[in-house]
Amino acid sequence: MVCKGIEELLSPYLEDELNPEEKLAVEEHLKTCQICADLFSFMKETKESLADFPELDVSENLINQLYSIPSKKKRFKLSLDFLVRPSLQPIFTAATILLIMISFYIFHPNKNLIDKSIDRQIHLGFSKIGRLYAKAESFTYSLAEYKDNILVSIKNVKFFRENEE
Amino acid sequence: MLVNAYSKRIFNMAFQFSGSYEEAEDLTQEIFLKLYNSLSKYNFEKNFSAWFLTLTRNHLIDQYRKTKWEKKIRDDFNEYSLVSDTFTSPEEGILKEESKKLIWEGFNHLSSEIRMAVILRDIQGKRYDEIAEIMSLPLGTVKSRVNRGRLQLAKILKEKKEDKNGM
Repeated sequence: MVCKGIEELLSPYLEDELNPEEKLAVEEHLKTCQICADLFSFMKETKESLADFPELDVSENLINQLYSIPSKKKRFKLSLDFLVRPSLQPIFTAATILLIMISFYIFHPNKNLIDKSIDRQIHLGFSKIGRLYAKAESFTYSLAEYKDNILVSIKNVKFFRENEE
Repeated sequence: MLVNAYSKRIFNMAFQFSGSYEEAEDLTQEIFLKLYNSLSKYNFEKNFSAWFLTLTRNHLIDQYRKTKWEKKIRDDFNEYSLVSDTFTSPEEGILKEESKKLIWEGFNHLSSEIRMAVILRDIQGKRYDEIAEIMSLPLGTVKSRVNRGRLQLAKILKEKKEDKNGM
């Protein structure tokens, strides 16, 4: 058997889990192959070292923290559970954006300039709306003036006259 | 009661797996928090220890995949434990400690699944059928992972020792 095949049998050989033929094959190979014999001895050393690893004690601080987990969890549930609902996320996002905008406005060094520009924009908006309203009114009047003429013209359209007949 | 019975076992498993004392403390807390959240899902017909260790194993491997601890250097375990002095000679003690250190560092080269199998089998001394239950794997797969882990660690130990002797 070649070294690769023997390598795979070394661990079960170490634990005495091979059948007699396989065991014999490994033993024969280890007698003649120094590389595999070395590898086996290192594997044995590894297994013994691992078994000898110390078990560490848990610090008192960690024990206390572990004991406080259930009560911590309960408090969280009572007070903050509703905050993690997905349905509230758009509201939180909008509130965050609003807060950022407000804080930007409050803490801006040229707050007066912003105030003035907001004022100007509001006034411009109002005057635009006023003009639009005036235009709409004049359009309504002109429509009323031409209402009779329009109706007569519609009645004279060939399509409607044919229908009447 | 759960803390008394399991904290040491879980902490040691987290420390052996992650190689970091601080990380192991954080992981132990996370695992206990997860335990309290999942207790309602526990089926009373099942073995509690195996169920809890499966939860631990899943959490450790999930965290390993997220954070990749293998990039970090493992803590020196002698810093946290007393070295046993049962050796026949001081030289033997030094050599054994050196091998232990090399093997401990060698854990970083094992994949998470193989590392977990070796820890459960060779450090914690669990039976193969217990490991199969904890890792939710067939017995043959567990044995093959332990074999591969031992082989990799033996090769690392061989290589590092030969490098040292060659110098």
